[in-house]
Amino acid sequence: MKVGYLGRRLASAAVTIVLIAIINFILFRAMPGSPERVLLHGTPNVTPQILQQTRERWGLDKPVFPDQFVAYVGSTIRGDLGFSFLARGQTVSEVLAQRIWPTVILFGLGEMLAIVLGLALGAYSGWRRGGAVDYVGNGISLILYSTPYFLLGMAFLLLFATTLHWFPTFGMLQAGAQYPGLWERFLDFLGHLVLPLATVAFGLVGQYAIVMRSSIVETLSEDYVTTARAMGLRDGRVLRRHALPNALLPTVSLVAINLGYVVAGAITVEVVFNWPGLGTLAVEALTARDYPVLQGVFLLLGVSVVIANLIADLVYGALDPRVRT
Amino acid sequence: MRPTLRRRAIRALAACALALSVLLPGVGPAGAAGPLILRAGTDQDLQVLNPFNSVVVADFEVFTLNYDLLVNFGPDIEPVPGFAESWTQSADGLTWTFKIRPGMKWSDGQPATSEDARWTYQTILDGVASERGYLGEGYLEGYLTDSGVKTVKAPDPTTLTVTTEFATPLLLQAYVPILPKHIWSKYSLAQIGDPKVTGFFKNEPPIVGTGPYQVVEWKPGEFIRFARNKNYWGTQGAADEVIIQHFASGDTMVQALKTGEIDYVRGVLADQFNALKNEPNIATVAGIANGYTELSFNTGGKKKGYGGSTTALSDVAFRDALGYAIDNQKLVDTTLGGYGTPGSTIIPPFHTRWHVEPDKPRKFDIEEAKRRLDAAGYKLDANGKRLDKDNKVINLRLTWPDSEAENATNAQFIVEWFGQLGITVTAAVTEEGKLIDDVTGPPEGPADYDIYMWGWVGDPDPTSLLKFFQTSEIGSSSDSYYSNPHYDDLFKQQRAESDPAKRKTILAEMQNLVYDEAPYHILYYDAELHAYRTDKFAGWTNQPTQGGTPLFGYGSRGYTLLTDAAAVPSAPPSAAASSDTGSASGAPGASAPASTTPGSNASNSSLPLILGSIALVIIVAVGLVVMRGRRRTVEEE
Repeated sequence: MKVGYLGRRLASAAVTIVLIAIINFILFRAMPGSPERVLLHGTPNVTPQILQQTRERWGLDKPVFPDQFVAYVGSTIRGDLGFSFLARGQTVSEVLAQRIWPTVILFGLGEMLAIVLGLALGAYSGWRRGGAVDYVGNGISLILYSTPYFLLGMAFLLLFATTLHWFPTFGMLQAGAQYPGLWERFLDFLGHLVLPLATVAFGLVGQYAIVMRSSIVETLSEDYVTTARAMGLRDGRVLRRHALPNALLPTVSLVAINLGYVVAGAITVEVVFNWPGLGTLAVEALTARDYPVLQGVFLLLGVSVVIANLIADLVYGALDPRVRT
Repeated sequence: MRPTLRRRAIRALAACALALSVLLPGVGPAGAAGPLILRAGTDQDLQVLNPFNSVVVADFEVFTLNYDLLVNFGPDIEPVPGFAESWTQSADGLTWTFKIRPGMKWSDGQPATSEDARWTYQTILDGVASERGYLGEGYLEGYLTDSGVKTVKAPDPTTLTVTTEFATPLLLQAYVPILPKHIWSKYSLAQIGDPKVTGFFKNEPPIVGTGPYQVVEWKPGEFIRFARNKNYWGTQGAADEVIIQHFASGDTMVQALKTGEIDYVRGVLADQFNALKNEPNIATVAGIANGYTELSFNTGGKKKGYGGSTTALSDVAFRDALGYAIDNQKLVDTTLGGYGTPGSTIIPPFHTRWHVEPDKPRKFDIEEAKRRLDAAGYKLDANGKRLDKDNKVINLRLTWPDSEAENATNAQFIVEWFGQLGITVTAAVTEEGKLIDDVTGPPEGPADYDIYMWGWVGDPDPTSLLKFFQTSEIGSSSDSYYSNPHYDDLFKQQRAESDPAKRKTILAEMQNLVYDEAPYHILYYDAELHAYRTDKFAGWTNQPTQGGTPLFGYGSRGYTLLTDAAAVPSAPPSAAASSDTGSASGAPGASAPASTTPGSNASNSSLPLILGSIALVIIVAVGLVVMRGRRRTVEEE
C-alpha cells in the first residue's frame, strides 16, 4: 500500500477527531440550564454564595471562550478529562476505565461472532440461491435485522433466565461471590456473558447475512466468474478465490458503518442485562446530568468510531487495489 | 462420493444439535450454602462513600447501615437510642446532655466514645465557620444549623454536651452519622469535603463504623457489599452479608426478583407491582412516600421583579377557586395507576405524628369553581374566556421538568379542567436545569412562570418541607414566592417547641394556612412501591408501621429485624447466635467446598457454562467449517 494513501487516511482521521473534540465541548456548554445548578441539584438552601463558590470550584465562572475552551483542550490532550459530578472523588478517566472493558468484550466478541456467522450464512445462501438454506436463512435474517436489540434481549431474558433458569438474569459476575479460583470466576463470567452476547450476535448477524448474500449473488453474475467456471475450475475454488474477495468489500464497509450503530445498540443491550459497561454508564450519566462523564463517553466513542473506520478503510485498501490511488 | 458442502454443513449442525440436546436437560438450581446474603435492588446508583458528599437516598441508606446516628429512628420515626443511650434537655432548653453507650467498639476494635461524636459534630461546625460555609455537598450542615447548634463538648467518654442558640427538639432528628475520629482526623477539612483536592478521603472499603453492617466491597455502577459488624451493640439481623445492587432497567430488576436472584426491589412501576401481587413467595408493599407532587403558583404575579403573565396569580381567591377544578383522585388513578394518595396539606401523611387534614377541604366541583371565580370578580368575556381584573384574558403557561415525565399526564387533565372554566392553559415541558433557573425568585432569578408542577421529598422531621414557604427564602429555595409574616412567626415557634402536642397545634395551623392561601395545590402523595421475597427472609417490618416500607426507610432497623425464613422457628436472631445463623439455618451442605454460587437460587454454574462455551465453540466451528469446506473440496480435486 502506498504511503500516500496511508498518510491521507491518517490525516483525515486526525482532523475528524479534533472536530469531534470541539463539537463535544460546544454541545455541552450549549445545553440549557446552568451547570452549577445541576451540580447542586438536591442540595437544600442554595444561597447565592454557594452558587458562586460552585462556579469557581468547577471553573464555570470564566468566560466560555477562550478560557474554558483552552482549559478543555489542554486537559484533554493531557488525558485529564475532569472530575465526575456524580461519582464524587473519581476522575472521568477512572470512571471510564472501570467501564470500558466489559463493553469491549461484549461487543468485540459479538461483532466477531456476527461477522463469522453472517458471512458464512450469507455466502452459502447466495451460492445456493433458491435452496432451503437460502429461504430459511434469509427469512431469519430479515426478522433478526428488524428486531430492536432490547426486544431481542428481553425475549432471551424471559425465556432463558426467568422461565428456564439456565442463565443468570443480570450483571457480569455474581455480586459479592467468593471464587475459590480463577477458573470458577471465568466460568461464572461466561455464564453471565451468554445471553447478552447472543443478543448482540443475533442482532447483528441479520445485516451481514443479507448484505453478503446479495453481494455474492451480484458477484456471481460477473463475467470473470462465468469465465472461471468455463475454464473448469471447481465451484468451491471459484467461490473462495474469485467471488468471495470481491463480495466481501461491501461487508467491510458495513462493518465500519455499523460500529456507530452498535454503540447505540450497546446502550439498550447493556441496560437490559445490567451489563456494567459504557452503555449503562452513559444512561446513568445522562439521567444525573453528569456532564464531564458524558463528554468523556462521547469523546471516547467518537474517537473509537473514527479509528474503526480508519482500520476499515485500510482493510478495504488492502483488499481492493482499485482504491489505493 | 466425496461429501458435498451441503452434506458437511448438515453433519456439523446435526452434531451440534445432538450435543446440545444431551447437555441441555439436567440443569437445575443448586443452592450452595455459605453466608446468608440479603440482596436488594434499586434503580438509583450509589454515588460516593464519604457521607459529607452524599446527596441521594442510596447514599444515605449506605451510611445508615455503616454508622450510627447520635439518635436513631424508631418504628414511627420517633427518636430512639443510637450512639447515645439516653439524653436530657436543660430547663431552659439550650443544653442537651447525651449519655453515650459505654463499652461500644468500632468495627476495627477501637473503643467508640463521646469524643468521636464530638469530633464529628465539631468538624461540621468548622465547615460552617469556614469560608465556604459548608463541607462537601452541604447536606449534613442543615441538620445542625437548623437546630441552632453552638458548641459541642465531651467532658468524659460517656457524656456529650451540646448547646444550642434556641430551644428545639430538632437536634434529635439530626441525620448525621457518627464517624470514627481515629480514621477521619488524619485528613484536613478540605480533604474531607472537596473531591478535587489531592488526598481527598474517599472513605473506601473496608469502612469502619459502629452500625450493623460495614461496606467491604464497592463496584461503582454495579453493587455495594456489606458484611456483618461483629462488634455491633444492637440486635444482629439474620443476614451475614447485604448487597445493594444497582439496576439500569426496572424490568430486569423485577425479573431478577422473580428468579430469586435478588430478594428485595425498591421502586417498582404500578403495572409491574400488580403483576407481582400474584407471584408465589413474593410480597408487595405500597408505602406512602415522604413527599408530594404539587402545582405551584407564581404568587408574585405581575409585581415588579416577577415574570407572571397575570395579576390573578397573586389573588388568593383566584388560586382557591382553581383548587375546586382539580380532581386529585383522578390524577392518582391515572398517572400513578391507583397507587398514591390524593393531596391535601403540605406535611404528607407519612408523618403520622404531624399530618392533619384541612379544616375546610375543597372538593372537585367545576361549577363551584366557576361560581367562586365569578364571585371573586373574574368575569367571562363574549368568547367564554376568563378575564382578570385588568380586563385581560387569562392565559396560563403550565410547565414541568423533563426529569418528572409523568407530569405530562397531569398536564392534560389540568388543561382540560381549567379550559372548562374559560382559562386557556398552554402546557410544555422544560429542561430541568433551565426550569430551576426560571423559577428562582428575585433578585437572584426572573421568577418567570405562571404555574408549574414539581415535587418535594421530606426528611424525618417536617421542618424541611415548611422552610421554603418563608419570606426569607424568596430568591433561594422558595418557588411560589409565598410571603406571610404570620407563617414566618409560626415557623420559628414550631422549631423551638419541644412538647409534641403543642408543636402539632402549631403545625396544624401552618398546614391550614398554606392550604387556604394556596400558593401550592398538592396534587398527590406518591407511593413507594416495593416488593420482596418471603421464602428467604422473614421478619420484614415496615417503617413507619403505617404506610412505610421495610427497607430504604430511615435507619438500619429494617435490616436488623430480619430473620431467616428457612430457620427452625425457635432459633432467635440474637447477637449470641450471630456467628451460627448462616450455617445453622438448615441449609443443606453447610460446609460445601468450592461453591461457585454461594447462597443464592441462581442456576448451578458448571453445566450451563460448559454448555454455553461449547455452543459458542460449535457456532464458530460451523462457520469455519462452511468456509473451509470449499477449500477442502478444491484440494481433493
